[in-house]
Parts: sequence; structure tokens; C-alpha cells
Amino acid sequence: MNERLAAAFALLPEYLGWHVLLSASALLLGVAISLPLAIAASRSARLRWPVLAGASLIQTIPSLALLALFYPLLLALSALSKSVFGHGFSALGFLPSLLALTLYSMLPILRNSAAGILGVDAAIREAADGVGMTSRQRLFQVEMPLAAPVIMAGIRTAAVWTIGAATLSTPVGQTSLGNYIFAGLQTENWVYVLFGCAASAVLALIADQLLGLLELAARKRRRTPALLGAAGLAIGVVLAVLPLATFGKPASYVVGAKNFSEQYILAELIADRLQAAGAAVTRKEDLGSAVAYRALAAGELDVYVDYSGTLWTNVLNRKDNPGRAEVLRQLTAELKKRDGVTVLGSLGFENAYAFVMRPDRAQALGVTSLADLAREAPKLTFGSDLEFLSRPEWKAVDAAYGLGFKARKSYQPTFMYRALAGGEADVISAFSSDGRIAADRLVVLTDPKAAIPPYDAVVLISPKRAGDKRLIEALTPLIGKVPVEAMRAANYSVDRDEQKASPAQAARTLEAALKP
Amino acid sequence: MTDPAIELTGIVKRYGAHAALDGVSLSVAKGEFTALVGGSGSGKTTLLKTINRLVSPDAGEVRVLGANVRTSEPHSLRRKIGYVFQEVGLFPHLTVAENIAITPKLLGWDKSRIEPRIANLLGLVDLPLSVATRAPSELSGGQRQRVGVARALAAEPALMLMDEPFGALDPLTRDALGSDYRALHERLGLTTVMVTHDMAEAVLLADRIVVLKDGRIVADGAPADLLANTTDPDVRALLEAPKRQAERLSAKLAGVS
Repeated sequence: MNERLAAAFALLPEYLGWHVLLSASALLLGVAISLPLAIAASRSARLRWPVLAGASLIQTIPSLALLALFYPLLLALSALSKSVFGHGFSALGFLPSLLALTLYSMLPILRNSAAGILGVDAAIREAADGVGMTSRQRLFQVEMPLAAPVIMAGIRTAAVWTIGAATLSTPVGQTSLGNYIFAGLQTENWVYVLFGCAASAVLALIADQLLGLLELAARKRRRTPALLGAAGLAIGVVLAVLPLATFGKPASYVVGAKNFSEQYILAELIADRLQAAGAAVTRKEDLGSAVAYRALAAGELDVYVDYSGTLWTNVLNRKDNPGRAEVLRQLTAELKKRDGVTVLGSLGFENAYAFVMRPDRAQALGVTSLADLAREAPKLTFGSDLEFLSRPEWKAVDAAYGLGFKARKSYQPTFMYRALAGGEADVISAFSSDGRIAADRLVVLTDPKAAIPPYDAVVLISPKRAGDKRLIEALTPLIGKVPVEAMRAANYSVDRDEQKASPAQAARTLEAALKP
Repeated sequence: MTDPAIELTGIVKRYGAHAALDGVSLSVAKGEFTALVGGSGSGKTTLLKTINRLVSPDAGEVRVLGANVRTSEPHSLRRKIGYVFQEVGLFPHLTVAENIAITPKLLGWDKSRIEPRIANLLGLVDLPLSVATRAPSELSGGQRQRVGVARALAAEPALMLMDEPFGALDPLTRDALGSDYRALHERLGLTTVMVTHDMAEAVLLADRIVVLKDGRIVADGAPADLLANTTDPDVRALLEAPKRQAERLSAKLAGVS
């Protein structure tokens, strides 16, 4: 417990720094866009409706989706800019997060500013005209000062929203306090989840109070609280962001990981090896499956582990299954040719999709293979992870066996096993390297028609690191050296409920268990 | 004589199908104190606002101090004309002194010229210097309207437009402010146009009364002349009302004593 808390605190400077930098930039940008827009909207009734309705519409998009939508958009823009200016930009991480959060912050600022300006007493406006102000003078000398408290209240609301929503930038590759929450949810490290929630809540509260001082100053027309609030905000942002100056430094290797335990452990294993070779490492974790490969191909990641079947079906769009060795051979050739991506080799174990059942249930129904499962499927509920049902592997299996389940449910991987244990799902889509299969003595259904492609864990290296000797020398010794039993044990040590290990600890145990 | 201070010719202003002003012509001489009188909807406020371009007429010409108002920007025109209205419209985020200084500041006066001017104006409208640093919300209604008058006078305009300036005040304050303003009008040699619905106020303060009805002028003249000459029964009733009221009042008061 204390150890996990200490580990969480150790990560705080980096996570908090990025979180503050991201939220503050988004809020500043939000204010810079929203204020002029609100002024225009308050001047023109025809503009008012579309502007406010547009901002409301953005608000109805779930924030996670908004963040995710910016990635492909920016990727396309980056490709365009590369072809036009010869220079692309990173579509992952800070930029999509910044844009999405900026959009997200706009509604309260827009709405309050427009209402504040429109709410100025008509008599005061007439007086401003009567004394001979131009409309600009009226705006800056009368309307804005009088609307300031309402505008500040809007900025305050926006700040709280932005800080909360910034935790969702983790899956698009931007480090934030959300890293605690996403990693914690995956590995059932509740200390991390709570720590992440608490840290972002405390940050939001502090920002809210400091902005509250500015609002008070605007309302009471007093200078002291304005100075206190502004100084507090400035000092807070600088102190929070300062540690990043030392984190980002020497041109480091970016190690990626998708969003499950095995990926965290392997990322740590790779990071340890690189650091042992004297290299600096930064991590981008909790990436979506499709995001990770594209990010590597675009050079935003230097190295990560993916699975041959995933690349075979999702990247190469192949539906056939020529066998484990052939898939690996063709993949290595094709990815190099197409994207310049190096497949360094297989780590030596597979993490395939596997349909698993509780032993008692499988025995009662007489199910040992997917063919048997097809027979019983109309009576059964199928539990899968969030992406399996939309993946080609599922379509291939369904096409081969015809699995007409009574019901289908999607879960976070952790909760999927709970559902199986609790009987809410009769069969689930598990992973063959998952330690919980052995620990719970689950039955893995056989695949007589070989519908599921092979899933060798392969180390991928980005085009720009293809000739990087230090990287290749540090990682080549891992090829073929990770036994599936060792990987299962490492996964289980992170996933189990009692005496959980951190991914870093599991990686050290795994390193010791490598084949000689 | 020189040019008139204000010259309105054939002013028409429509709101939809309704004509608020239906061909009004009016000339106001320099130094004159004119009251625009009429019921609500008669067009008196609209007429007043055409003079400082708070309202732009659909037809007709407005000349102020010899120049067509359309030849200058509205804001520069308004800086030369004092404007006082019933709601006062003091800026709540500024002190009394800052409110008074607003037009001189817009005109780019020096600080050394503005500061004595504020003290001078507070004296003119009979307010103590100590109110200068206060917020408008700390003043009484009468004091606020005195600040309103001081603000309108700040940039030394030759022309004052007043829209029911004392309408929201209690009778005593109203009487005091009215006669104080009339004295200022004399002392500063102002030209004043004042809108009011109160004939007694018009008779007591103005040199000339212009009566409007449905967007047209129905009577125009010195109070005594109007009463002697007007044939319009409505105007006559309007003019006689304060006189009758005064007679009834003194009769009642005599009966009591």
C-alpha cells in the first residue's frame, strides 16, 4: 500500500506538470477564441444563435470521443502539410488534446460572456452613447468591465471542466493525471485510480479558488484579490510545469504501450534494457490499438510490442491464415516495404485471442472446441473486451463457425474475467498469455478450423530508428527469449487481487526469467 | 440674429407602419429654454433624440449649431451636447469624479484641466466635494441626478438635451433641482431642450413650450401666449390643468387655516 502510494507520488511531478500545462494552455486558448466570439455574438443577433448552438453541440460530444476524433483529423492534416510544406507534425499527444480541450472549454466562456455583455443595463448603454463614446470605447470602458464578474464565472466553470476532461487525454498519448486512472483501471491498482482522481480534483479546486479571487475582484472592483489570484495562478503554473523542463531533456527513446498489463510490463522491460544501455526513455502508454501502429509508422513512437495477427488482419487487411511462421515472414517483409517499419522479431510467445469458459460450465455443456460452442451458442452469453466484436478476427471466427449467441456484452478486460467468474458471461474472448487462464483453471476452446490467426508478440521499430545500433543491440537479445509461462506469471502478478506487483516489478522478474 | 442653435426640418421617423414623428419642423434660438410637452407616445422623446443622433430620422434634416448632424461622426457630435435622462445612467463601476470626467477624457483633456473642472462642477450642481470619490450606488436619487447634470455639463457644451430629467425624483427634490438647473441655464448661457410630461414643470422652467401630439406639433409659444391664443381644446386643457390644480390647492389650504 505505502509502496504503491510512494510510486504514485514519484510520478506526480511529470503527470501533474503535463496536466497543468495542457489545461492552462487549453483554457488560455479557449478564452482567446471565446471572448471575441462572444463580443461578436452580443453585437449581432444573427450570429448569436449559431455560435451558442455550435458551442452547445460540441459539449454534447462525449469528451473522450472528441479527443479521439482529433487524432485521425490531425493525422490527415499532418499528411497534407507534409505533402505541401514538406513538414508534418505530431498528430498524437499534446496537439489533439489541446484542441479538443479548447473546444470543450468554450461553451461556458461564450455563454457567460455573451450574457454578461447583453445583461448590461440599457440605461447605462444609452448613457455611454450619450456622453460620446464610440462603440469600441463603450465595449472596453463600460460593457466589458460591467460584464467581467459574469465572464470570470464562466472562465471558472471552464477551468474546472477542462482540468477534469484533461485526464482523458491519456489514450491519445498525452501524459496527464489520467495516466494514474487508466493504468490503475487496467491493473486494478485502486490506489492509482484514487490517487489520479484526487490529484485532478485537488488541482481543479485550487484553480477554482484562485479564479474565484479574480471573480471577486471583478465583482467588488478591488485590486488586492485580483493580484493575489493572478499571482497564485502564475506561480502555480510555473511551479507545476518546471519539472517538465528536466523530464523532456536528452533526445530520448519513446517506448509505446497499449492499454493492458502485458503491454505495460513489456514496455518496462524494453525501457529497462534501453536505460541499462545508457539511453533516456519516455513512455507513451494506454494507446488504442490502431493509434499505436500509426504512431510508430509516423515516428511518434520509437518502439513497442504488437502481435502478428493484429497487424496481419488490421494493418495488412489479410483474411487468410498461412500459418505462424509464414505470417511472421510476410509481415516482416510487407511492413518494411510499405511503412519502413522494422519487425525486429518475435519475443517467443503468442498472445492469441482465445475463447475460454469456466471448467464446470464447459463440462456441463460438453464444449471443448469452437465447433461445440457453435452448437450451444444460442443459449449462451458472450463477454468480450471493448474492441473484439469490431475486429476482423471476430468476423473470421463467426464466419467459420457461425456463433449466434443469445447475448453479447463488452467489458474492460479486468471486468470481463469477473463476469465469467460470476456467471454473467458463459464464454469470453481472453488472451492466451493471460495469467488468469491458468490461475482460474479456465478451459481454452480449440480452433479446429484455424480461424484465429497466430499472435506472436513482435518488437516493432519505427522507420527513423531502423538503423539505430544502440536500440537494436539492446533489444535483439530479447528475441525468442520470453517463454509464455514467464509472460503469464508476469501478467498474473500484476492482474491478481492480492499482493499485486507493479508493471516495473513484474518486468524485473520477467527479465530474470528470460531463456538463456 | 445669428443662426439658431437647433434647426429641425420636416423630420419623419417611422417604427414599422407607425409614424412616431410625422413631419416635424422646429427652430430653437440660442439661449432659449424649450420644453417639449405631450402625452406618452406623442413623439417628444424621439424628437429630442434626433438632435444628438440617438435616433436617426427617416426623412428631414437636423442642424445643430449651424451644421447638419450627418456631417460629423455621432460620437463627436454627442461630445458637444450635454445629455441628461430620467434613468441617469451613471456608470456603476466608476466613482462620481470619474463619471463626471468621462466626456473631457474622451475629448483628450489634460489631467490638469479635468481635476479643477470636477470640483467646479460639483459646486455648480451644489454637491459637496467629498462625494467625488464615492460610488454612484452610495448616493441618493437626487444626488445622482445632480451628478448626471454635472457629467452632461463637464465638457462645456453650449447645448443641453434633457429627457424627463427630474421625473423619478420626489416633489421637493424635483422642485429644488429644477430651479437650480434653470439658474445654471442662465448663468452658463446654455440652450436647453427639455422633454417633460408635466405641464407645471414646463410652465415654471421654460421660456417656450412646444406641445406634441401623435408625432406633430400642435402648439408652440411662450406659456402665457399659448394660454391666450391656442384653440385646440386638448392643448388648452393641458395648459389649464396646473392652473386649476394650483387654484384648488390654495382654496383647500385657505379653508384649513
